[in-house]
Amino acid sequence: MGLGRFNGIAFLLALLALWELLAQTQLINALIIPPPSKILAIFFDLLWSGQIPLQILVSMKRALAGYLLAAAVFIPLGIFMGLSPTVYRFFEVIVEMLRPVPPPVMIPVALLFFGLGDEMKVFVIFFSCAWPILLNTIDGVRGVDWVLLNTARSFGLSRGKIIWQVILPACSPQITTGLRVSLPIMLILVVISEMVGSTDGIGYFVLDSQRRFKVAQMYAGMLALALLGYTLNQLFNFLQRLLLPWQRGRQLE
Amino acid sequence: MNLLHRVNWLGWSSFVSLLVIWELFARATPKLELYLPPVSRILGALGRALAAGSLTQHGLVTLGRFAEGYFLSAVLAVSLGALLGYFRVFHSLLATVIELLRPMPSVAIIPVAILLLGIGDGMIVSVTIYASVWPILINTIDGVRNIDHTLIDTGRTFGLSRWRILWQIILPGASPYIVTGLRIGLSIALILVTTAEMIAGSKGLGFFILDEERAMNSANMYAGIVVVALLGYALNGLFLLAETYAMKWRHGMMARQAA
Repeated sequence: MGLGRFNGIAFLLALLALWELLAQTQLINALIIPPPSKILAIFFDLLWSGQIPLQILVSMKRALAGYLLAAAVFIPLGIFMGLSPTVYRFFEVIVEMLRPVPPPVMIPVALLFFGLGDEMKVFVIFFSCAWPILLNTIDGVRGVDWVLLNTARSFGLSRGKIIWQVILPACSPQITTGLRVSLPIMLILVVISEMVGSTDGIGYFVLDSQRRFKVAQMYAGMLALALLGYTLNQLFNFLQRLLLPWQRGRQLE
Repeated sequence: MNLLHRVNWLGWSSFVSLLVIWELFARATPKLELYLPPVSRILGALGRALAAGSLTQHGLVTLGRFAEGYFLSAVLAVSLGALLGYFRVFHSLLATVIELLRPMPSVAIIPVAILLLGIGDGMIVSVTIYASVWPILINTIDGVRNIDHTLIDTGRTFGLSRWRILWQIILPGASPYIVTGLRIGLSIALILVTTAEMIAGSKGLGFFILDEERAMNSANMYAGIVVVALLGYALNGLFLLAETYAMKWRHGMMARQAA
């Protein structure tokens, strides 16, 4: 295990060294593929000057707004659709019609309604995170043990209490799965929507750097995006352990 | 008769009522024309564009790019995944590189691709390959690693060559995982094709939809979205069909195990 880790890092460093060498000796066109040392230098410049953190902040505000909105709407909807076959049938066709639409295609619609502002991105992210959250919640609710539900009913718990104290905790692993699957989708869609119609944000920053031929800056932006994706994932894991600590115990059983 | 029972009447009526409300609302508020044209006008635009062949042509371009990118990424990712899953050395070498690249949202590769390949089919197909490789690769690696080692050892004992072990034990054993990866890769490939067409295309459905939006032909824009949705729906259906066919043996095996 330790050796595997060491191998991987050594291989990465070897790759970077080879890249550096090829770029420095002009064996590959350094205008298009600048050496890693230059990319890193520019990355840290942009980091300290606050430009990259600022762009990321702008993007994350939009991304989280759309993501949380989708969770706030589609977790409850998923619970009702999972509990009641009638509610499920009512929405089924509409959901099945909207789901196969590749989310970026909604960007022009959002542009039409909301223009270039934040609302446009929030809507697109809301739309694209909706389906994994909804479908996983429905699955989760349907998988709840009936004995659990009937026990709660025989103890005379109210519907609201049953939802809060029995169903939500029981299906939280699936809801978490839906939220986890949506996380990279959220990041992809914020980047796309900023590339197609924006004047700021990290997605715009990367595409704009390419258009202005600030190549090293473009790679630095991509590095920032990779780190952002990694951090978001770690943050999600951290929050999951913090808020749903019993999930881990149950998985071990 | 059976079919009649299975049709979700409630769902279809709620869907149709939604369209009727849209139609009436759009007709009652002509101000909205630019954003939300009546459904009938969208269907008319769809019919005209299909008849004129323009939408069909854009659709075929998108489908061609998608097919090329998806197919190549499947071949690449499954073979690389089998290699990385089977030989620990390769995996330990590449694991860090993979961990570093994977969390980067795949669309961020588009500017690089434009720089290296210009704007054209090659660029669009390449970014599609790049993006859909990840889920297929990761799932293939997992699948190969999760194969019961007894199976491989049995194959060895019977003197099977490495090649036959790969084809007859490893790939079938990992196929449920590979199928999952391929299914995720399918929708990602469709996302990347349409996105790349929006950012740097002069053809294809992504280009058509954004172009019609900029020209304020909202009925045409919605018509384009309907076509993309149908394309997505058809590709998913085709995938499920192929999956059921290709994995038939597995259902049989599961049933036998259960019995």
